[in-house]
Amino acid sequence: MPDPIQKPRPASPAPGGGGGDGPKEPKVEKPNTDDLLKRMRKVDPDQARRYRQRTGE
Amino acid sequence: MDIQFGLETEIGITRDRPEGIDVVAESIALVRSATAPGVRSCWDYRREDPHRDARGFRVDALRQDTDEANYFAQDASRPMSFAEIKSDLVLRNGARFYNDHAHPEYCTPECSTLRELFRQDASGDRLLMECAAAVDPGSDNPVRLYKNNTDFLGHSYGCHENYLLPRSLGWSALAGGIQAFLVTRQIYAGAGKYGWEDEDRFLHPGFQVAQRSDFFTELQSVDTMQRRPLVNTRDEPHADPARFRRFHVIIGDANLSPFATYLKVGATALVLRALASGAPAGKIPRLSDPLGALRSISRDPAWKWEIGAAASRRTTAIEVQRAYRELALEYAPPQTDEDQGLFAAWSEILDDLEREPGSTSDRLDWTAKHRLIEGFRESEGIEADDPWLRSLDLAYHELDRERGLFYGLWEKGSFRTPFPDEPEAGPGLRPPETTRAALRGGCIEKFGPLVKSAQWDGVVLQASGGGRIELDLNAVFDLGQVQAGLGVLAAAHAPEDLLSLPFAKRI
Repeated sequence: MPDPIQKPRPASPAPGGGGGDGPKEPKVEKPNTDDLLKRMRKVDPDQARRYRQRTGE
Repeated sequence: MDIQFGLETEIGITRDRPEGIDVVAESIALVRSATAPGVRSCWDYRREDPHRDARGFRVDALRQDTDEANYFAQDASRPMSFAEIKSDLVLRNGARFYNDHAHPEYCTPECSTLRELFRQDASGDRLLMECAAAVDPGSDNPVRLYKNNTDFLGHSYGCHENYLLPRSLGWSALAGGIQAFLVTRQIYAGAGKYGWEDEDRFLHPGFQVAQRSDFFTELQSVDTMQRRPLVNTRDEPHADPARFRRFHVIIGDANLSPFATYLKVGATALVLRALASGAPAGKIPRLSDPLGALRSISRDPAWKWEIGAAASRRTTAIEVQRAYRELALEYAPPQTDEDQGLFAAWSEILDDLEREPGSTSDRLDWTAKHRLIEGFRESEGIEADDPWLRSLDLAYHELDRERGLFYGLWEKGSFRTPFPDEPEAGPGLRPPETTRAALRGGCIEKFGPLVKSAQWDGVVLQASGGGRIELDLNAVFDLGQVQAGLGVLAAAHAPEDLLSLPFAKRI
């Protein structure tokens, strides 16, 4: 099986990560494409409220 | 890997405007819209016994029997037979596709490699979307399918895993030995969720790592729908019961990211191999409160995942996973390139989760979802308790590639795949070549109209000269047997020609 790494990895840890000095706010990055933003803006804010399922296994 | 495995995924189903819809009818219609090559309504339920318990007894009733009876009573008013409601379809790749009460369920065929599982899982997603397109073409209220595990109102549905194990691995050693592993693997296998739930109710807003961790109250049980257990004790090996057992894992999220599925199933199989190889109980991590840890890990806002271990010691989910990885290295050392890659990927994800959880958003569903939705929330000024976040969460799981947020990320290259050389379109519905699924699927493809019944461990065909012929697959796990069977099947002109196989007989 080939190495599962497909993309180049960052050369150094991301800023604010690790260190073991207590909880930190999770790192948050903004989505960086207009297409994805458009897709997200199209999501009906009430879609989950109207989503009903029966319990499964 | 010498442990075979497969996935069973229940899919959420609704319509764009869901008011007044009957989700059971929607699920039945979706499954019945499948035009993929297969054989309909031939599933042999007589070979199933959900009341037999792996702990050595048989229960008189399951807690869910009442639910089943209620569903049966409700379904009795439908102008359909039991077989039509189930609408079982055994596909030419050896998979099963059917209506499981109120959810379309796709069960992959048995796989012996993670690459095969990747293909078969992807084939299921494609099949589901083909059905969504076919069920009601041109409708202004189209069907929506979600590969997720909750409706945010306390109704959960599963993504179960099955692992074929030697019977020599005793139940208590197995169930006890893997418990801490299953509780902690959610840090890479969770699909993420905006909301906390309890059975049948929404609790409050808030992000957590896993979709399903709110719903487990038992460590092990023969039930699966009420008082849900981490592992199911149903003793139904779908194989020679003297030699094999099926380990049926209930705790686990449906993953969209192929890398998450690869880690989830791959690491689990490595740990099971270590247990089957005799890893001693004294080296296996133990938790003081496994069910409490399940929730606390999922809901920990700091993503440090501190939990209690045996003897009042404190540990973390990452440390537990590292201990299991060490155990697997010692008792199930890598045998193949796939194993080597898996051990490396497992180690890397634990290091990255410890260093900076957000750095895993190119592999894991929960970090990808969190990063995407939190970024959107900040840019749009959405409050942390806005129900829109749950709608965005739901949209992450939508299987429609033009709408689903996971697919939006996937198509812009945000995710790694464990198999970069694998064509994304996949091979279509073709069975794994290394397991008995190839024989099941081969019979479906070649002799479909003559298949009278099918199960995981057998196929019955109508002989053209009269009578029936059974392929008993309950001990066909050796690659040589599978290949010999495929050779005979390729040359066969009629089911009778299969009688030269040692596991075929007239019945």
